[in-house]
Amino acid sequence: MDDDLISELRDLDTWLDVPEAADQRAAVRARLAAPPKQNRLRMWLAAAVAAVAITVVAVEPARAAVVDAVVSVLRVAGIEVRQSGQAAPPAATPSPLPSTGEVTVAQAEQRAPFPVRWPEKLGPPERVEIVDPDAAGMPRMITAQYRGGAVRFDQIDGEAGSFIKQTQQAEWVDLPGSMAVWLPVRHALTYVDRDGVERTATTRLATPTLIWESGRVTYRLEGFTSLDEARAVALSLA
Amino acid sequence: MPAHRAAVLLGAGDDADDVVQEALVKAYRQLSRYRGESGFRPWLLAIVANETRNLHRSRRRRDGLALRAAAVTEPLPDAPDPADTVLARDRRAHLVARMRLLPERDQDVLVCRFLLDLSEQETAAALGVPKGTVKSRTARALGRLREHLRAEEVSGG
Repeated sequence: MDDDLISELRDLDTWLDVPEAADQRAAVRARLAAPPKQNRLRMWLAAAVAAVAITVVAVEPARAAVVDAVVSVLRVAGIEVRQSGQAAPPAATPSPLPSTGEVTVAQAEQRAPFPVRWPEKLGPPERVEIVDPDAAGMPRMITAQYRGGAVRFDQIDGEAGSFIKQTQQAEWVDLPGSMAVWLPVRHALTYVDRDGVERTATTRLATPTLIWESGRVTYRLEGFTSLDEARAVALSLA
Repeated sequence: MPAHRAAVLLGAGDDADDVVQEALVKAYRQLSRYRGESGFRPWLLAIVANETRNLHRSRRRRDGLALRAAAVTEPLPDAPDPADTVLARDRRAHLVARMRLLPERDQDVLVCRFLLDLSEQETAAALGVPKGTVKSRTARALGRLREHLRAEEVSGG
């Protein structure tokens, strides 16, 4: 009978030889953090060091779980998201980003090494700054403020590390054409300068933020508590 | 870890850890394509199954199911009758041996449906075939397996 055979097959499962699974977290994290062309030796070493079995797939339903379980350190374009229970408390008076001061929209567009884009939904920015210029004065980041500074929109050149975010909550969200990460709660934000130096003095508490990447530019939109609103602004980028 | 278990049972053998790692990296990179209609688990298992097939292709070999050594040598601690235990053990060994003789597609569908306990829908997603195919392939695989086992009984095997 089919039924007998099926129950025999089901029963078989407990008798089968399945070796212990390696903990892939470190290895997967290392591979994701590294540029796509990665030294495979390092990856094997990382895999070999990993030890404890993990339960990734059992966690439903999905994206938040992936952030949570597959990799506790993620990188979205130039922004590293660290899953952290206790973020270091930011200084009472965080130092500002290495900015060269306020510029006009036209100046920002002229000096940036990438096509500068503005979210139409927010209207004209109230304040625009160019940040972390190189020796030739070419900025690495354009930061714009809206609504009296409550909303901040950063566009950062390339995919090199630019910010570290420590948060207890992060989730993958859909944004047509790119992967985005939504940080729904306040979190610590630290700038990493163009030399890769973590500027801990800049660490401040950021409000909910949407991060995405498009055409080798990393975008960071801070200040909306509603994901739908943040997404609508992100989609209005022109 | 179900992904690892799936890779082993689908025939990745000692390379299961590599398959899982590759699958996790791919899953992460393809997250934007995850639409959630079939659930995350079958979606990830589909990537695992696909990676396992790539592995078979690249090394031209599939590792068959294998019973744990203990399952072959030791009786169940609470077995009511040693003779029953021996029979059950032989039966399992035969079943595994016969499973390994089935075509790969048949093995895959039986592994997904009964060893990994996936639904028809989830199996379809994991193997990348329509649900109807899962249904017919399962019936055919069970039929073949039953034929093999019956032939053995008739020949006194």
